[in-house]
Amino acid sequence: MDPLFLALSCFRRRKFDRCIKICTELLSKNPYDQAVWSLKTRALTEQVWVDECDGEEEGLADVLMDDNTIASVARPGTSLRTAPPSSAGGPSQTFRPSTQSGRPLSGVVRPGSQGGRPGTMDQALRTPRTAQTARPVSATSGRHVRLGTASMIQVGEGPFINLARLNVAKYAAQQNIAKALFEYIYFHENDVRHALDLAAQATQVLEFKDWWWKVQLGRCYYRLGLFRDAEKQFKSALKLQDNINTYLLLGRVYIRLDQPMAALEVYREGLDKFPGEVTLLTAMARIYEGLHDLPKAVKYYRDVLHYDATHVEAIACTATTHFYSDQPEVALRFYRRLLQMGIYNCEIFNNLGLCCFYAQQYDMTLTCFERALSLATDRSIADVWYNLGHVALGIGDINLAYQCFRLALVSDNDHGESYNNLGVLEYRRGNLETARAFFMTAANLSPHMFQPHYNHAKLAHKVGDLQTSFIIVQKALALFPEHVDSKELLKTLETHFHTL
Amino acid sequence: MAEAPSSPMNPVAETPESHVNGMTTTLPPGSAIKTKTRPRKAPELQTVERRNWLIHLHYVRKEFDVCKQLIREQLEETRGMCEYANYVQGLILRQEGKIQESFELFQLCNILNPSSVENIKQMARALFLLGKHRLAVEAYLQAEMKLDKPDWELHHNLGVCYMHLKDHEGAREQLLYALEQNKHHQTFASLAKIYLLENDIPSAINTYRAAIEYFPENAELHTTLGLLFMQIGKYQQAFEHLGTTLTFDPTNTRAILAAGSMMQSHQDFDVALTKYRVAAQSIPESPPLWNNIAMCFFGKKKYVAAISCLKRANYLAPFDWKILYNLGLVHLTMQQYTSAFHFLSAAVNLRPTKGHIFMLLAIALTYLDDEENARQAYEQAVSLEARDPSVCLNYAIFLKNHDDKEGALRMINEFEVRMVKFRQSTGADLDAEVIENGAKLAMLLGVDGSAFHKKSSHTRLRADDEANQEPVQPANEPPCNSPPPNEDEEITANDNLPEASTILPLEHSIDPAETENLDNKMKESELLATSHMHLMDEEPVMPSGEFLEEGNKNKLEEDLF
Repeated sequence: MDPLFLALSCFRRRKFDRCIKICTELLSKNPYDQAVWSLKTRALTEQVWVDECDGEEEGLADVLMDDNTIASVARPGTSLRTAPPSSAGGPSQTFRPSTQSGRPLSGVVRPGSQGGRPGTMDQALRTPRTAQTARPVSATSGRHVRLGTASMIQVGEGPFINLARLNVAKYAAQQNIAKALFEYIYFHENDVRHALDLAAQATQVLEFKDWWWKVQLGRCYYRLGLFRDAEKQFKSALKLQDNINTYLLLGRVYIRLDQPMAALEVYREGLDKFPGEVTLLTAMARIYEGLHDLPKAVKYYRDVLHYDATHVEAIACTATTHFYSDQPEVALRFYRRLLQMGIYNCEIFNNLGLCCFYAQQYDMTLTCFERALSLATDRSIADVWYNLGHVALGIGDINLAYQCFRLALVSDNDHGESYNNLGVLEYRRGNLETARAFFMTAANLSPHMFQPHYNHAKLAHKVGDLQTSFIIVQKALALFPEHVDSKELLKTLETHFHTL
Repeated sequence: MAEAPSSPMNPVAETPESHVNGMTTTLPPGSAIKTKTRPRKAPELQTVERRNWLIHLHYVRKEFDVCKQLIREQLEETRGMCEYANYVQGLILRQEGKIQESFELFQLCNILNPSSVENIKQMARALFLLGKHRLAVEAYLQAEMKLDKPDWELHHNLGVCYMHLKDHEGAREQLLYALEQNKHHQTFASLAKIYLLENDIPSAINTYRAAIEYFPENAELHTTLGLLFMQIGKYQQAFEHLGTTLTFDPTNTRAILAAGSMMQSHQDFDVALTKYRVAAQSIPESPPLWNNIAMCFFGKKKYVAAISCLKRANYLAPFDWKILYNLGLVHLTMQQYTSAFHFLSAAVNLRPTKGHIFMLLAIALTYLDDEENARQAYEQAVSLEARDPSVCLNYAIFLKNHDDKEGALRMINEFEVRMVKFRQSTGADLDAEVIENGAKLAMLLGVDGSAFHKKSSHTRLRADDEANQEPVQPANEPPCNSPPPNEDEEITANDNLPEASTILPLEHSIDPAETENLDNKMKESELLATSHMHLMDEEPVMPSGEFLEEGNKNKLEEDLF
């Protein structure tokens, strides 16, 4: 069989290793065979290719030294970084917990949906860095690091292409191999600068009439942090050719510039051209979620489900919303759907268990939690125990609840919610000092929760330590300005202080 | 009174001196006339109080920033000797919540001017705010010794401190004394609170009545009085006072809840719901509110809505047995006996001393065909609930249905005894349905049940739960029983009694519904703390991990070529 044909066949069947091997052999015989060379570049690229237009996590440096945002003090509802507007629809913070970023808990874990944006350096270094991971300290996101490493594992005789000695201008003129080469440089070598060089020259050669090169230029600019340049390239590419991916990338640029409204506009344009495109709908839903506009987010997720009934993120987010708006039965159906689709992990069983419990399907509850426990990883087991603690509370078994919260702490000693609940239980037992210690720990560990602050303030007020109470209840109100009980507590304290 | 600090205490001699010295050096020598006049001017002699008026002006306008600036200048000038500046600084710091610092400043004032009672009073107040009640009492007593004429404020504060120290006798004495000097609504309120702590509701009511004579437009006083009247079952008066509150303050949530619950007990569900709608605007996270709304729906036979609301209430207040009790009740009505059992057993776990829960539990167990446990639950219910006749009746029915005629007879007699007692103590009659069922059962058992009917003009008084009554007829058919629509709804109204947590031990109240009101309240106070935690619980609802991957999986191949 013709080895080139075999290599192509392997490439199509995604057997890249074999393909590369055959190509290397062929190239050693004839180093100037462009077809083989190009095929090998593509095979090498395919091995490490990732879809970039989705789920990007910003590193610590990006977040903290961010000078790309347009408005430092954005109006409410126009930024992904400000506090939620008080009038936002959907369940309040009392019902639906928020993540560390202050956004409402979402149905899926996405990059950035958990950690969120720390306000200060101190917080950034402390909060997300739990016992499990010290990740946020790294500046570039993990994926890009991984990309770069691919070029290091070299077999045999040095790198496949020596970028430093590459005659960029020559290859830019050869359109048949330039694209493959670009992808190789961009993904496999992770050398954005060379890639940019190639793309710039190639687009020149083609007299700025090729949309593909413009998109690639935009991607390079984006990676280099030149968002305005990237925006220009994407926009000009869109003039030549409508492409979903370009819309998505342009949207990302706006998100990085903290202009969610502009991003929504872009997605909407994209939807005009590509009605019912799931990725665009999902992106819109995510932005609405980030803007605390949950009803709208759910609307878009529902649209997604209309076009793609197996969209995991949409199903999970809709289920979560139903759960937190007092419809555990409906949520249960969505989670069951996920289970039917073959998702089989700790989280799904945990959620099923909770839904069963709140929908009073008691026979299933404990079975689900048992499964969840057996499937749990180190990261999630604390949450499962924590939820079991709530189930125990729900059946009135305080001792069991206490033990569950303890177990949650055993597996994750940074679990602020468990500390808070233990505090409440201690408070009920009358151990005010212990309770106070628990609340303080909880407030330290999870600065995004208002509950420990409020509880601590309430406790301090009860024992008559009004000063502490005053200071702490203000913290609670800063986290959740609409909390009625905190406001009332603050009011009584103020009257105390104002009377002569 | 504070703004007139006495200057004699300030060592005037030192402060101005430096200025004088400084100026003398700068002056050209030889201007003899001027040197003569200068000491006479000595304007710095008055500097200590020079700008007190300005500080005061800014302070009373709440212009704290300007005020602080002025104070700083003033204190620099006087080297911290200006008493008034320190005093106002202390007041400002207190309003900013920095009690400890303000306490230190008042101490300084006291050193500067030990004769001023005002300073000692402020020190005492700071101590009180810091929670050091015993020290505060000492300070107040010290202030009292220095005073020649009595001061109501001082006695009021003393009383409050004593109350915190659990010395009710002393507190009452002081508060009464304060009232003699001056009528103040806070004093009345504190006094009433002490009566409540001592479980003396009539005295508390009298106190509030007296207070309302002096302050007829104080919504707070009216509300509390209304709630107290509700507690002792004088609904008419309670309603009047709550109505007054609502005229003065239409959004007073406590009054709305209380008034709503009374309307509920008069089966006026739609009106009550409108009231609750107002309240829901301001307190959307209040468990009692949701509970009451749920029981309105229950009364209107909208069971699903009721369950939904109760679930929300339970979510907010997981430790509130009353909500669980109501959940159990609604589920019994819906004939979902297992669910009912779960909620009731949770309620029992949280509150093992309440007979009514055991009764409902027994009913649920009966339907679940667990005769043995049902019997035990009934036994427990009868022993724990010594007043309510319906418990005995339900047990009697149960025994009858399980062919224990003797036991049934015993219970029906007990029922009769309790009913008579009930009539005597409340002057009202039981629910007509209960009496009817009692009579039927008595007939079946061959006892003379006519006595039950003595005055069956149904004054509506809720008989708790006859959920199970119907089955008297040998055929034990569940569907026919329609449990009384509203027994528990009132539960919550009172959640707001101030500090009710200790008001009444549950057994004291006469009317079952009442009790619930009460300790519901008590629950509230703890619950607040707890409810929140519950929310979190679902937090982990996060299908994490792999979903993420799903999102990122390579989907756009077109990107390549």
